[in-house]
Amino acid sequence: MRIKSLLSAEALLAVISLFLIVCLVSPALAGDIQNKLVAESALEQVMKRGVLKVGMSTFVPWAMNDKNGQLIGFEIDVAKRLAGDLGVKVEFIPTKWAGIIPALLTGKFDVIIGGMTIQPTRNQKVNFSIPYDYTGQAIVAHKQLAAGFKTMEDFNRPDVTIAARLGSSSVAAVKQFMPKAKLTLFDDESQAYQEVINGKAHAMVGSAPTPAFQALKYPETLFIPIEETFTKEPIGFAVRKGDFDTLNYFNNWITVVAAEGWLKERKHYWFETKDWESTIQ
Amino acid sequence: MKGAILRKKPRLTLLDAVIMLVVTAILGYIGYRITVGLHYKWNWSAIPRYLFRIDENGNWKANLLMQGLFTTIRLSIWATLLATIIGTIAGFFRISKSLFKRLLGRTFVELIRNTPPLVLIFIFYFFVSGQIMPILGVDDFARNASESTQSMMTFLFAPPRFLSAFISATVTVAIFEAAYITEIIRAGIQSIEKGQFDACHALGLSWKQKMQYVILPQTIQRILPPLAGQFISTIKDSAIVSVISIPELCFQGMELMAATYLTFECWITITVLYLILTLSLSLAVERLEIFMRRSTA
Repeated sequence: MRIKSLLSAEALLAVISLFLIVCLVSPALAGDIQNKLVAESALEQVMKRGVLKVGMSTFVPWAMNDKNGQLIGFEIDVAKRLAGDLGVKVEFIPTKWAGIIPALLTGKFDVIIGGMTIQPTRNQKVNFSIPYDYTGQAIVAHKQLAAGFKTMEDFNRPDVTIAARLGSSSVAAVKQFMPKAKLTLFDDESQAYQEVINGKAHAMVGSAPTPAFQALKYPETLFIPIEETFTKEPIGFAVRKGDFDTLNYFNNWITVVAAEGWLKERKHYWFETKDWESTIQ
Repeated sequence: MKGAILRKKPRLTLLDAVIMLVVTAILGYIGYRITVGLHYKWNWSAIPRYLFRIDENGNWKANLLMQGLFTTIRLSIWATLLATIIGTIAGFFRISKSLFKRLLGRTFVELIRNTPPLVLIFIFYFFVSGQIMPILGVDDFARNASESTQSMMTFLFAPPRFLSAFISATVTVAIFEAAYITEIIRAGIQSIEKGQFDACHALGLSWKQKMQYVILPQTIQRILPPLAGQFISTIKDSAIVSVISIPELCFQGMELMAATYLTFECWITITVLYLILTLSLSLAVERLEIFMRRSTA
């Protein structure tokens, strides 16, 4: 009996001392970790460097080069405003779409502002901000090859070839809506369109509004079989995982500029007018 | 005799005329097919602006494609220089008396030569450069350098924001080309007749004297044609680094295509620019070969 009580007293003492140690040490530890997290966040690095490095890829009319070799587009406006509000300079790193996530993860830039749709599979590798824009997939088809095609089902056949951009959300849309169709993938959207214009693919699936623009440009070969977009996909900034300071800033920045109506105004300019076209060709 | 052949005026024979006619017809047919068969709308007028542009002050400035060409040239020059150095060292290792050096040289050549360059590029860019460049502090150095240092860096290598990517690209291309140069140099030295080595030995020349005065002058003349081929290859292979988004000619062309949808115009322009670069190098090497043949004859 005595031994037992002695043991329990000792055990109690040990527990209390352990608790005290934890109480004394943990605030300091937690503080350290917090400081370290803040210092390592992309936001802090950007402020220290004075430069926001933005990963993007050419995607009309999100981001493209104009005649003077300057980048223009919806994403470019967004990234420039973001950097301006942070009080830093902006630097664009044009990157191949297929390799843009590995480049973010290996620290080639701070954030992807490149019309990246928020997808659960992508979200496993990166963190997304709240959406600042929505896009949808549209389809443009070859007049002779896809003559008479009017619905998604017409394209959902094994003898139909669909072109799309590698690694884009168009690929997921094609697999979902036309799983039977044959899919050919290209590094750039322009090559995918060319494939349809050349008559090697029946149709091309891409983010609106470019399919419609292409149909206008090549009225004798291309047509729009389905008028409206068949998906609605949110677009967000992508940052490295675990960086909640940066994410919080981006989320609130998006909320603020959306409330101002600025995002809507910019979107109207790039997606609903073609005033910018003379600066390209 | 050789000079006489070189200077002989070319005469147009009937066969030449027929061949030229056939080639023109084929090119014309391809152009016709693209325009009519594919309904392709040519728009060549958009291209010159992307080569050179006039800025606000009325000065001529290199635009996207020419910037890309300059990056390709810079990348090729540095990669060639580095590859020649690595290749020469590894080439001497391959014929060394020491087993360790021979093994080292052999491992290098076989490892690099039997891996697709694309795979090497990805490994270097995402793993090696991702780990090594931050440790070396290349990025911070480039960003914090003074204005004049930065502009010099831009002229010699790349703008500060692309510097670390440019260096990893150059190193990868250099290592890849070095494996081939190693073999060219090894084969070149080994092709020198055994009597030459024996003579050096009999004369009591040191290893350095033997190489400097006897072996290397003969080797260089022999390896110049394959070496030139390798240098031209370097320019062409540099297009591979477009996959890691180095703004060289091929990447810039593809970016332009993505923006303007002028697929054929862009590819044709890129092809012509590469040809200008490689053909002029070919001609220069041919001149050098003739010069060397004369000076040793």
